[in-house]
Amino acid sequence: MWNMIFGEILILIGVIFLFLGSLGVFRMPDVYNRLQAGTKCTTLGAFSTIVGVGIIEPSWFLKSLVIAFFLLLTNPVAAHAIGRASYKMGVKLTEKSVVDQYGEEKDE
Amino acid sequence: MIKKVLIILLFVLLGLSLYSVVKYNTFGEDKTVVARHYIDYGMKETGSQNIVTAVVVLYRGFDTLGEVTVLFLAATALGALLHGLRFKSKEKEPSSLIVSTAARYIFPLIILFGTYVFVHGHLTPGGGFPGGVIIASAFLLLFLAYTQKEVSEKTLSLTEGTAGILYVITGLLGLVMLNSFLANFLPKGIPGKLLSAGIIPLIYILIGFKVGAEMTGVLRNLKEEEK
Repeated sequence: MWNMIFGEILILIGVIFLFLGSLGVFRMPDVYNRLQAGTKCTTLGAFSTIVGVGIIEPSWFLKSLVIAFFLLLTNPVAAHAIGRASYKMGVKLTEKSVVDQYGEEKDE
Repeated sequence: MIKKVLIILLFVLLGLSLYSVVKYNTFGEDKTVVARHYIDYGMKETGSQNIVTAVVVLYRGFDTLGEVTVLFLAATALGALLHGLRFKSKEKEPSSLIVSTAARYIFPLIILFGTYVFVHGHLTPGGGFPGGVIIASAFLLLFLAYTQKEVSEKTLSLTEGTAGILYVITGLLGLVMLNSFLANFLPKGIPGKLLSAGIIPLIYILIGFKVGAEMTGVLRNLKEEEK
């Protein structure tokens, strides 16, 4: 019984993060901010949802942990590669940006 | 105006033809004799839990051999076409430390997954073709992360050729032992076990290697090269 409640809470957290992530993709002003919203939220959202499913169905727990581990391993790297590629392609930052440490480091 | 009318007419015709197909073949009922046979006797006759695999490799094995040949021809033709035009590639920038480090850990995992998919083709969805493509995607990651990395063409064509020849030899063994090309000459075993379904795992392993090598070759050719 307790695992049911705990799992559902985890899934709820995941769903909220996924919702915020998709909202961020629409609302954010430039590629980098959108990428940030998309990736951070989907990594945690998917992670939490998958682990929650594993807790509700204990026989799937190990399998769900492995899936979550692979997500954790691949998702941030893919986002990093996209962000870096768009910077190198010359995609501009939004005008409201206050800091561009990557560019500063490159200029030095 | 006439163009629009024609387009509308085309859609109406398409809809009518689709409707007639749906009308006379209700979903889930009145299967054709062949389909009925596959579903009712498929597992008993082949020992394969996955009926799709049984159809692809055993019932219509000859088609699959043809498909593998078509893929081989397509890959070869692409290689021949691209060989003539070597694009002057832009200066390649090495990928970042994060990507190359991650690629080192993810590459074996993708290979493992692809191997799993084609070895378990008779038990779970998947099989030689998707398994091979997954393995090729591992090599794509390698090409992206390490721009200097090369896979030698010799290794690729050797793998591809060996797998293809072994496929034909498996078929010929069936012809010798059971008087029918690509016949299932190995014991069927218990459906659901890894070692079951006779020659299906064997053929899917060969197809997995062949498709993996072919698709890697395609990626290798598409990678801009400058000599």
